[in-house]
Amino acid sequence: MNQKKTLKENPEILLRAENLYYTYEGEDSPALNGLSLTIKRGKKIACMGSNGSGKTTFFLCCNGIHRPDSGTLYYNGKPFGYAKKELLSLRQKVGIVFQDPDRQLFAASVKQEISFGPLNLGCSEEETRRKVSAVLKELDITPCSHKPTYALSGGQKKLVSIADILIMEPEILILDEPAAALDPFYTETVYKIIDRITEQGITVMMATHDVNHAYLWADEILLFHEGRQLKQGTPDELFSDELLLKKTHLAQPMLLTIFHHLQSEGMISKKLRAPKNIEELKSYLSQHKDS
Amino acid sequence: MIMSDKLCYYSKLRYVNATEKFLFSVLTLTACILSRSIIIAFLVLAVTGILTVYKGKIPLSRYIKLMTVPIVFLFLGTLAIFVNVSETPLDAFAFPIGSYYITGSVQGLFHGIQLICTALASTSCLYFLSLNTPVTDILNVLRKLHVPALILELMLLIYRYIFVIIHLASDITVSQNSRLGNIRPSTAKKSFAAMVSSVFILSVRRSGELYDALEARCYNGTLQVLSEDYPVKISEILSIAAFEILLYLAVIVIRVSGGTL
Repeated sequence: MNQKKTLKENPEILLRAENLYYTYEGEDSPALNGLSLTIKRGKKIACMGSNGSGKTTFFLCCNGIHRPDSGTLYYNGKPFGYAKKELLSLRQKVGIVFQDPDRQLFAASVKQEISFGPLNLGCSEEETRRKVSAVLKELDITPCSHKPTYALSGGQKKLVSIADILIMEPEILILDEPAAALDPFYTETVYKIIDRITEQGITVMMATHDVNHAYLWADEILLFHEGRQLKQGTPDELFSDELLLKKTHLAQPMLLTIFHHLQSEGMISKKLRAPKNIEELKSYLSQHKDS
Repeated sequence: MIMSDKLCYYSKLRYVNATEKFLFSVLTLTACILSRSIIIAFLVLAVTGILTVYKGKIPLSRYIKLMTVPIVFLFLGTLAIFVNVSETPLDAFAFPIGSYYITGSVQGLFHGIQLICTALASTSCLYFLSLNTPVTDILNVLRKLHVPALILELMLLIYRYIFVIIHLASDITVSQNSRLGNIRPSTAKKSFAAMVSSVFILSVRRSGELYDALEARCYNGTLQVLSEDYPVKISEILSIAAFEILLYLAVIVIRVSGGTL
C-alpha cells in the first residue's frame, strides 16, 4: 500500500503528515489530534495558532524526535522510518532551530557549538573547520566566534543557534518562533537571514505569532488549532476570513485591514487583489488619484 | 566563578598553547607540594603572579581579591595545627583555662606557616591556569592526556550548565525579592527552599529539552566538538623548561640540605 502512495505522491510535496496523533506522557489531552497537512518544496510557510495548538509538537515529529502515536509522516513521498540510520539522514535533512537558544546551545564556545552537527554527520575535522568558518561568515558572527556561549547576547545566541542547523545543510529549515524575545534589530537580522536561506532554495517553515510579518513573508500559512490543522492557504485568503481569525484569536494584518477599509470607502477599486506589501498598496492609491 | 571565567577571555596569554600553560602550572604545583618550602613558595607566588598580572594583564586588584579567597579558608584550616589543648604548656604561647592550656609550639607555628605558603603558592599555579586558559582549552589538553571521554563530556556539560542554572536561580530570586519573598527570616527560608526545589525541577526539564535538541542534530552518544589549538612557541617551551629545571634543582637542594625553610 505504501508503494502505491509513493507512486502517487506529487513531486512538489516535500513533507506530508497524515492523521497524526500524539499525547505527551502523563497528559490527558492529546497535543496532536488528527493533524494532516502538506508542505511544498521551496515554499515559505508560516505556522500560526495559539500556544498549545501543537506547532512545536508537530515540529518535533518532523525530524523524528517524537514518534506519533498513530498516523504517518512522509518525506519525499516515503513514509518515515525510525531505524537509527533513517533517523540520522532525516535529521540532517530536516533542521530545527529551537525557540530558546539556551535550551539548544550546549557547548562552551561558539565554534565548538557549531561544529557539533557536521562532526556527527561524519565530516572530517578539516572539512568541519572550513564549514564552521563559512557559516560564521555567512551569518556575520565571526567576531563572537571566540566567545563562550554564555557571554553572548540573546540575539547573538539566536544567530548561533541558526548557524548550528544551517551548517548541516538541511533541505527544510524549521524555526520555532525565531523572533521570540529578540530586539527589533536582531528580529530584522534574523528575518533577513531567513530570506537569504529561502533564496538558496531551502524550504522554510516558521512558527510565528506576528501576523504582519507572516502576511508579508509567507507563501502559505498553516493554521493550527487544538492539535489539528484548521486551514492551509495563502495569507490573503486566510487573513480575509474574519470568522476564522476570531476562532483562532488572530488579528488581521494591518495592511489588509487598511486595504479593506479603503475598498469599502470607495477609495480604491473593489476589483483589486489584496496587496502583497505596502508598496503595492501605495501604487493602488496613486493609480486611483491619477484616474 | 563567573568573574574568573570572564577574565580568561581577556587574558593576553589566552592564545598561548594550552598544553604549555597546563604543563607549567602542573609542574610548578608539584614542585611546591614536594618541597613544602617557604622559599620555593614565595618564588612560585612571585613568578605566577608576575605572569598573570604583568604578562596576562589580569587587573592586579582582581588578582589580589581572588588570592584572598583561599587565605581565609587556609587560616581556619591551619588553626588546628597552630593551637593545641594540652595539660602542659608549649613553647610559643599558652593560655591557662582551668587545669588545661590553650597552647602552641614554635614548631607548630612554623609548620602552619609553611603549609599556608605552600597552599597559597599551589593555588596561584591553578589561578595562573584558570585565569589565562578558557575551560574548553583545558578540556582539550585533558583529551590529549587520554582522560576518558565520558568524564570530559560531563565536565563540558557541567561547565555550560553551571551558568544556565545560576541564571535560573538568580531569576527566581529576583522575582521572589520583587514580591517581598525575603521580608522576614521565615519567609526568606521558605523562598529559598522554593527556589532550590524549582531550580531542581527546571534543570531536570532542561536536561530533557537539551537531549531533544542534541538528538535533532544527530547526536550519537558522544559529544564531538572541534578543538582549537594554538601553535607551540619554541621560546616559550625553552623558558618553561629552564624555569622548571631551576625550580626542581632548588627543590632538590633544599631537600638534600635538610633546610627547614
